[in-house]
Amino acid sequence: MTIVSFNGVGKIYRRRGLGSSSQVVALTDFTLDIEKGEILGLLGLNGAGKTTVMKLLTGLLFPTTGGVSVFGLDPREPQAKNSIGFLPELPYFSPHVTAASALRYYGRLSGMPPRAIEAALPAVIEKVGLVPHKAKKISEFSKGMLQRLGLAQAVLHSPELLVLDEPVSGLDPLAIHDMRALISRLQAEGRTIFLSSHSISELEKICDRVIIMVRGRQARAVKREEWEMTSGGLEALFVEAVTSGARD
Amino acid sequence: MKKCFYAAAAAVFTGLLFFSSSGRPASAFPPPSALREVRHSALEDMLALSLGARRLFADLWFIRLMQYYGTQEQIAGVEEKEDAEHGHCHHGMGFGTGKYPEFTALSRHIAALDPYFKNAILYSAGSLAFNMDRPDEATDLLNYALVNTPREWKFLIMLTAIGYSKSSEPGKVAQIIAPLVRERDCPVMLKQLAAFLNKKAGNYAAAAEIYTDMIETSRDPFYTRKAEEELRKMKGLRR
Amino acid sequence: MNGLKKIFKSVSCPALFPTPYSLFPGCLDTVRSVAAETFRESVKNRFFTIFAVFAACAIYASLLVGVMAVDEEARVLSDLGLGLMELMTLAYALFHAAMAIPREVETKTIYLVFSRPVSRPAYLLGKASGLYLLSAFMLSVMAAIHLSLMALRGFPPGLVYFHILACIWLKVIIITSLALFISLFSTSPVSTMVISGIIWTLGHFTPEARFLVEKTAGFSGRLLKGAAWLIPDLQLYNLRDAPLAAAPGVWFQFAYAALWALGSYGAAVLLFKKKEF
Repeated sequence: MTIVSFNGVGKIYRRRGLGSSSQVVALTDFTLDIEKGEILGLLGLNGAGKTTVMKLLTGLLFPTTGGVSVFGLDPREPQAKNSIGFLPELPYFSPHVTAASALRYYGRLSGMPPRAIEAALPAVIEKVGLVPHKAKKISEFSKGMLQRLGLAQAVLHSPELLVLDEPVSGLDPLAIHDMRALISRLQAEGRTIFLSSHSISELEKICDRVIIMVRGRQARAVKREEWEMTSGGLEALFVEAVTSGARD
Repeated sequence: MKKCFYAAAAAVFTGLLFFSSSGRPASAFPPPSALREVRHSALEDMLALSLGARRLFADLWFIRLMQYYGTQEQIAGVEEKEDAEHGHCHHGMGFGTGKYPEFTALSRHIAALDPYFKNAILYSAGSLAFNMDRPDEATDLLNYALVNTPREWKFLIMLTAIGYSKSSEPGKVAQIIAPLVRERDCPVMLKQLAAFLNKKAGNYAAAAEIYTDMIETSRDPFYTRKAEEELRKMKGLRR
Repeated sequence: MNGLKKIFKSVSCPALFPTPYSLFPGCLDTVRSVAAETFRESVKNRFFTIFAVFAACAIYASLLVGVMAVDEEARVLSDLGLGLMELMTLAYALFHAAMAIPREVETKTIYLVFSRPVSRPAYLLGKASGLYLLSAFMLSVMAAIHLSLMALRGFPPGLVYFHILACIWLKVIIITSLALFISLFSTSPVSTMVISGIIWTLGHFTPEARFLVEKTAGFSGRLLKGAAWLIPDLQLYNLRDAPLAAAPGVWFQFAYAALWALGSYGAAVLLFKKKEF
């Protein structure tokens, strides 16, 4: 069952200056379907358009051409947003509060009643492994702990779809291992996960399908069986896609 | 549809703005051009106007005026008996005498900043007219303040008193300024003057009443000590 | 009732202008949450240093003024305290108004907000309310310090003191609303603060500007008149400066402040509705 569709989406960033304007094409004719329950990875070099895709999906950006639908709705619709949990790259939280306090705020913004927030908090904090740090202020958190908190705010309202932008970026190997385990657990709960990364090996380990992006276009869609049968794995397919994309 | 809504909202906002702007009274203060620079005051004046802090800066200028008036004059050829605290001579009609060339400009500056600062204007006009014998400058100052406060009876009384002071009738002047002196916030300098004029005219009871009031209400030790001294003297006279 | 809700809903939260439904009831929770968060964030940011500075300045000034102003001590102490309170509240509120949204964009916190079902008008209203609350709280604490000091020196305040406080707050509300709007298109928080500072200054010259406009005829007169309208008349609220008799009625003061706050809010919503992050 398709839950997200990108249909020929184009995105152009326009910057207007005093008497001049410039534009950058971030995405061209991008088409993609995300199936319920899968872990889909988005792989590409810097500036390939990965974050643009994620922001279009979460309603932070609006497409210049084409259309995006989430559960059959415009991503700007409240119901669509309610079914998405988003973890941006390097999330920021107010340093003066505790993790629980920050989560309460985001729970309220998600429209959760106070009782539901209080009921969900212990389980979520436990799920992301922040129990030993729940009394600490966020200013005392390490990068890995911040990333866990980022994931906690994304899953607090029990969304069906999780959008994770570079979830393992900047983490140490142990934190990466924990994050991978967490993502797998979330999938086991029946959630659909859409994540982007620079790390080929990470995507190779957890994804069912990977989209390779080159210069704002979808260069290739690869399923797990495909890279498992290819010598050199996903890396070889990625290098091939990028070099042929660069030649075009 | 939405554009129409936005246009209607903008029109309503503009209409309300126009409605709220019309019929409002003109400025309660003299125009900025009325401020003449004294002692390199340009920057302070700019701050007073732009921060809407005329009153605060008028206070500061009044403190400066009092400091200036309370300091011994350094003018060649002018000899004054000095008081240890207040600098200027303070005996009887000779109280506060001196040239103090900046006095009028400073007073005028205060009046231009805050024409509602009654005590400062009364203090300045009283000092100019009765201590420094410059009644014309005092009259000018009061008339200037009256432009913005035409119904200020205290200024009108002071103008009348200045007019009578020229006829050398201390009793009459004391009688004219009596309502001013009865005001709770009357400058202590004017009370001192009224008491002195009453004493000079032989109205010892009225003078004693004013001196007692000065002791009770003023926080200025110079004036309270002076009032106590005068009361002691008057008791001796009555005995 | 449900039909009405549907109509409202169709142009509310996801759409881009506040309607009665977009602000009630779910959006009202958003407004409350964002306001509380904005207030909490601002209070934790060196807030008490401001009070310490104010208390130190006020005590020092009162000691100095007690010696220098002699019989005018009450007036000078009151003027100095109120002036300091206004400037400190203005500076702190302006700083936070200029930073409120740009900082959330810069730290990407706004991604966590707008990836949720948060209506943009409700978010803006929450930010503005948090800032209004901040200035009210600041003024209250500083007024308590000031009043204690005045009482200690034997000068109990009249009722007009509280009217002056309310006017300072309304003035700060107007400039904060404008700063919040300006911060949406200005290039940096510094430029927002500079532009707002200029408006604050011009706002104190509005009566003079109106006088000049009346003296200018023809096209330039009409042009000046238009320009004069675009600046809020802050002198209306300058009770700590002007005589009470020259002030307009309390209801007019509130209505005029509400007009400017709503106008700035409406313009901010228009600008914010298509903003991408």
